[in-house]
Amino acid sequence: MITSTVLLLLLALLPTLSADRFPYLHPVSIDTDPENMLPADEPVRVAHNASKKQFSLHDGIVVGIVNETHPRGVFNVSTLTKVDEITRFAMELEGVVEVDVMSLSTVDSISQAGPGTVRFQWLMAKPPADQAEADDIRSRAMRIPFLRDTLFSADGKALALYIPLRNKNDAHEISVALQSKIDAIGSGDDGFHIAGLPVAEDTFGSEMFIQMAIAAPAAMLVIFLLMWFFFGNLLVILSPMIVAVIAALSTMGLLIVTGNTIHIMSSMIPIFIMPIAVLDAIHIISDFFDRYQHYRDRRKTLVKVLGDLFQPMLFTSLTTTAGFASLALTPIPPVQIFGLFVGFGVLLAWFWTITFIPSFLMLIPEARLEKFGRKERTGDGDSHDDGVALFLARSTSRGAPLIIAGAVLLTAIAFLGISKIEVNDNPTRWFEPDHPIRIADRTMNSHFGGTYNAYLSLKYSPPPYDPDSFAEGLAEKAQRMEEALSAAAEAVQQHLNSLDRGTTLDLLDEIDRFVRQRRLSSESAPKRGAWTTLEGWLDWAFASAEDDETPPADGRSELKETLASAAAEMREASSRYRSIVEEVAGQAPETSDDFLAALSLEIETISTSEDRWRVVGTMLSSVQQEKQAFKDPLLLGWVSELQEFIGQHPVVGKSNSLADIVKTVHRDLTSGSEVDYLIPSHRDTVAQTLEQFLSGHRKDDLWHFVTPSFEEAMVWVQLKSGDNRDMQDVVAHLSGYLEGHPPPVDLDEPQWFGLTYINVVWQQKMVSGMIDAFLGSFIVVLTMMTFLFRSISWGILSMLPLTITVALIYGMIGLLGKDYDMPVAVLSSLSLGLAIDYAIHFLARARQLHRELGDWDRAREAVFGEPARAIGRNIIVVGLGFLPLILAPLVPYQTVGYLIASILLLAGGVSLVLLPALMTIGQRWFFAGDADGSGVPEEAPAGSKE
Amino acid sequence: MVTSITAIFGLAAVIGGASGDLSVEEIVKRTNHAAYYQGNNGRARVSMVITDGQGRKRERELSILRYDAPGPDGEQKFYLYFHAPADVARMTFLVHKHLDRDDDRWLYIPALDLVKRIAATDKRTSFVGSDFLYEDVSGRQLDQDHHELLKTTENFYLLKHTPKDPDSVKFAHYTMWIHKKSFLPTKVEYSDASGEVYRVMTVGRVETIDGKPTVLEATMEDRRTGSRTVLTYKDPAYDIGVPERVFTERYLRRAPVKYLK
Repeated sequence: MITSTVLLLLLALLPTLSADRFPYLHPVSIDTDPENMLPADEPVRVAHNASKKQFSLHDGIVVGIVNETHPRGVFNVSTLTKVDEITRFAMELEGVVEVDVMSLSTVDSISQAGPGTVRFQWLMAKPPADQAEADDIRSRAMRIPFLRDTLFSADGKALALYIPLRNKNDAHEISVALQSKIDAIGSGDDGFHIAGLPVAEDTFGSEMFIQMAIAAPAAMLVIFLLMWFFFGNLLVILSPMIVAVIAALSTMGLLIVTGNTIHIMSSMIPIFIMPIAVLDAIHIISDFFDRYQHYRDRRKTLVKVLGDLFQPMLFTSLTTTAGFASLALTPIPPVQIFGLFVGFGVLLAWFWTITFIPSFLMLIPEARLEKFGRKERTGDGDSHDDGVALFLARSTSRGAPLIIAGAVLLTAIAFLGISKIEVNDNPTRWFEPDHPIRIADRTMNSHFGGTYNAYLSLKYSPPPYDPDSFAEGLAEKAQRMEEALSAAAEAVQQHLNSLDRGTTLDLLDEIDRFVRQRRLSSESAPKRGAWTTLEGWLDWAFASAEDDETPPADGRSELKETLASAAAEMREASSRYRSIVEEVAGQAPETSDDFLAALSLEIETISTSEDRWRVVGTMLSSVQQEKQAFKDPLLLGWVSELQEFIGQHPVVGKSNSLADIVKTVHRDLTSGSEVDYLIPSHRDTVAQTLEQFLSGHRKDDLWHFVTPSFEEAMVWVQLKSGDNRDMQDVVAHLSGYLEGHPPPVDLDEPQWFGLTYINVVWQQKMVSGMIDAFLGSFIVVLTMMTFLFRSISWGILSMLPLTITVALIYGMIGLLGKDYDMPVAVLSSLSLGLAIDYAIHFLARARQLHRELGDWDRAREAVFGEPARAIGRNIIVVGLGFLPLILAPLVPYQTVGYLIASILLLAGGVSLVLLPALMTIGQRWFFAGDADGSGVPEEAPAGSKE
Repeated sequence: MVTSITAIFGLAAVIGGASGDLSVEEIVKRTNHAAYYQGNNGRARVSMVITDGQGRKRERELSILRYDAPGPDGEQKFYLYFHAPADVARMTFLVHKHLDRDDDRWLYIPALDLVKRIAATDKRTSFVGSDFLYEDVSGRQLDQDHHELLKTTENFYLLKHTPKDPDSVKFAHYTMWIHKKSFLPTKVEYSDASGEVYRVMTVGRVETIDGKPTVLEATMEDRRTGSRTVLTYKDPAYDIGVPERVFTERYLRRAPVKYLK
C-alpha cells in the first residue's frame, strides 16, 4: 500500500515540480473557475462565450477608491493623481486588456464649448494641477450619464477603475500587483478596494490551498486525539490514521495523475475521505478493544471481530461508495469527479482497513496490548458510556411510541423547513464577512451601480424570406419612394411658382431652405428620403448655376425645367429599378443577402450616370440597412424603456446600452441641455450621431454594445448583489416585462449571459442534478439493503435513519434560512453514505444478536453493548473530527464542518434511538422471518458459517 | 485627390542628425512634402474597409479635397464628403490645418441639418471610426519629434522619431521606412514604452499620377485590438483647380459636387 501511494504521489508531484522533464505526466493544476461547473459544451456556456466574443467583453477587476473626508470627495488633486498613476500602472500589466481599461484617465468627454462648438477631449488627459481643474473634471464627468454610477458615484465620493483581463484566472495575481502599487503610492485619506467576481473566484483558489494544508491535517489531529482518548493505545490507533492518510493521498494522487484539476469540489476530497476511512477502522478497533480482554489473544479476537463486522463493513462501504458515485449522475463535471473519486477512496479505505488493520494489529506484540481494551465486567456497566447505553436500551423500549411520534413530528417540521429552502450561492460570500473582498464588495456596491455584471443580448430576427414576397416588398418601397419624390418635386415646383423672380442662385438658396425645412419636418422615411434626393439635385443645380457665366435675370423657368426633367429621370430610374427587382426575383436568390447582392450588381452594370441612379442607390441602401436593426429609433427607444424597467429592480443599480450612448452624444451635438438627451427620431440621425462617437479616442467601446452589423446589441446590467437568487429574480422580473412589451422589431428571445448569470444556470442544474443523484442512490442503497437483509421491511427500516437525517438537515437549513449552495447540495450524498452506515451496523448486529439470543429484549440489551459503543465512538470521533473546519476562513469549508458534525450526530442518534423503538413496536413483524430461520444475514466471514 | 491620399501616410518630421547624402532634416522635410503636399490641390475618392479582430467588416466611401496655402509647405485645407453608407451620406468635414495652433475643424450633420465647430484638444482621435488617427491623415507637426536616421539601405531610409513631449502621445517612438526615390513612407511602426510595436501602417500600392508617386492603398493595423483599416484611393488627381472658397462653412451644407468624384 505504501508503494502504490508513493508511486501515485510521485507521478503527481514530479510533473508538477519539473514539468519539462515529464511531459507525458499531468502536473497539479488548479481550477477555481465556477464556469467549469458546466461542461465546456453546455449550450448556455457556449452562448455565453460566443456573446462575450461578439461584444469583445472580458471579465475583470474593479478597483474602487472612496474618499469620505475631502469636501470634494474623490475629485481632488491628490486622489485623481493616484487614480491616474494606478490606471497607467494597470495598463502596463501583462494580462490586462489595455485598450478596454476604463478610468477617468481613459475615457472621452464631449461637451459644449461656446455657441455652435462641441468639444471632444479626454475626460482627464492628465492629473489636475489644482482644485479648479479637478472641479472641471468633476463637472464634465457628472454630465455623462453613461459613466455616472459606473465610473464614479453620483455623490462624487467614490470612483472606479475597470480593469478587464485576458484571462480571468490571472485575477488574483493582478489584484496582488495592484494592491502593492496602491501600498507603494500610499492610500492617504482614500480607501482602496479591489472587487469583482473573478477576484473572488481566483482568490478563493489561492486560499483553498492554505485551507487544504491546514484543515485536513487539523481534522486528522482531532480524530487522532479522540481515538487516543477512547482506546488509549498509540500503536493501535496509528493503523486507522495510516489507512486514512493513505486513502486520501492515493485518491488525490490518482486525481492528479489522471489529469483532473483541483477544483473547489475536488479540494474537499481528502476531507471527505479521511473521516469515512477511519469509520470502518474504528468499528474494528472498537470491537477489538471491547473483546480483547475477553479472549486475550490477538488472533482469536480478530477472527471474532472480523466475523461480526466483515459483512456490515463491506455493505457500508459499498453503500457509501454508491452514495458518492451517484454524483456522477449530476450534470456538473466537477461534482461528478468529486463523487467518483470519493467513492474510489472509500473502497480503497475499506480494502486497506480489512487487510492492513488486522495485519497491523497482529504485528503488535501481545505485551504492548496488556493493558489494552475494555476490562471484562460482571454486572451492568458502571462507566459513563455504559450508563448511557443502558438508558438508551431501556428508554427506547419503554418510550418507543413516544419516540416514534417524536420522529414523525420532527420529520413533519423538517419537511416544512425543506419547503422554505432557498437555493442560492455567491462566490463572494465564500469569504467571511470581514475578508477584504467582502468589505470591498459592500463598499463598492453601496457607492456604485454594482460590481456584478449581467448582460442581456438582443438579436434581430429577420422576417422569413422568400424571393417573391421579398421582391414585392422592395417594389412596394420603391413605389412609395417614387410617390414621395413626385410629391416633393411637385411641392418645389409650387414653391417656385410662389417666388418672385430672381437669379438662379438666389432662387436656389430659397429652395434649398425650403427643401431642408421640409426634410427635417418629414416623419416618414420615404418622404425624408425623397427630400434628401432633392438635396442631391440641388447640389448639382448650384454647381451649374455657379459655373453659368451668363445667368438669366430670372432663373425660375430654367429651374422648373431642370427640376421637371430631373424628377422624370428619377421616376424612370425608379421604375427601371422595380423591373430589375422583378428580374432578380426570377433568379430566386436563396437569401435576402444574395438577393440584394444580385440587385446591387445588376444596378451597377447599368448605371453610368451616378446622378441619375442616385435615387436607386438610396432605395437599395435603405433596404440593405434595414437589417441594422439597432439603428432603428423605435427599437432603441424600446431598449431604453426596458432599461428603465429593469432599473426598478432593487438589485439593479445601473444599466448601460447603445441607447445611452446615442442619447448622450445627441445631447452634446445639439443644445447640450437635458431636453436633447433623447433618441432622435430617425435612423440617419442615429447613424450620424454614432459616427461622432466613433471619431473619438475610444471608438471600440461602441462595439461592446452593438455588433458592427447593428444586428445584435447588448444591455450591460450592473447588479449590487452576486447572489444567484437575485440574478434569478432579475431574470424573472424582465421576462414578465417582455411578455407585455414586445419589441417593435422582431428579435430573437433575449438571452442573458455573463458570470453572474452562468452561476445561476449551473446552480439550477446542480439542484435538479442533486435530487436525481440522491434519488438514484437512494434506490440503489435500498436495493442493496433489501438484498443484505433479504427483506424489504428491513431494507426500508435501514433507510429510515438516513431519510430522517437528510430531512432534518435540509429542514434545518430551510428553517435557519441558510442558503442551499454547492457544499450543502453535495452533503446530501454524504448523509446517505454515513447515515446508512450506522443503520447497517446497528441492524445487522441486532438481527444477529436476536438470532443468537432468540428474543428482542435480550438482543436489545446486547446490541447496546459493544455494537452501540462502536457506533457511539464513531459518531464522536468522526463528528468532532470535522469540527476544525469551522475555524476555516472560507465559508464553504465551515459549512461542511457544521453540517457533517450535524449529520453524524443526527444519523447516529436516529439510528440508536429510532431503530430500536421501531423494532420494539414492530418486533413480531420484523422478526417474523427469523422464526423459521430464513432471511438471517450470514455470519461473516462469508462462507465460514459454522 | 492627391493630398488626402498622401495625407493618409501620417507623420513625418524634421530636424536631427546627419545621413550619408542628405541630412535627417532634409529627409524628413522631403518626406513630409511627398506625403502631404504634392501639387497645390487635389482630390481622391477613398474607400475604407475596417475589419475588426473578429473579421467583421464595415465600409465607408468618402471623397477628400485638399487645398494648400501658397508658399512653402504649411497651412492646408481639407474637405471630406461621405458617400456611403447611405445613412451617413452627405456628412461633411472641413479642416483648416495650422502649424502654429490647433486646427480649425467643422462638421456638418445632415440628419440634424447642423454645422458644428469642433474644438479638439488633440489629434489622436480616430479618423471617421477607422484605425487611422486624425493625425495620420492631417500630418503630425514636424517639430513635435526628435528625428534620427537609423540606417540607409539601397532603397530606403529608416528613420526613428521620438516625441519631445512623451506625455502628449501614447507611443514612445515610431519608425518610418522611407522610399529613397519617392520619399514616400512605406511602412510606419509605432512602439509603446516597452518597445512593442502596437500600430503599423503599410503602403500596399503606389502609382505615378501626373508625374507624382501616389499611394493608392494604405493599411493601418492596430495590434492591440486586431483591427485593421485598408484605404483604397480611386481616381486620385492633382491640381484640379478646386477653389479656396469650397473650403468654407457654406460648402459644408452644399457639397461641391463638381470637384467630388
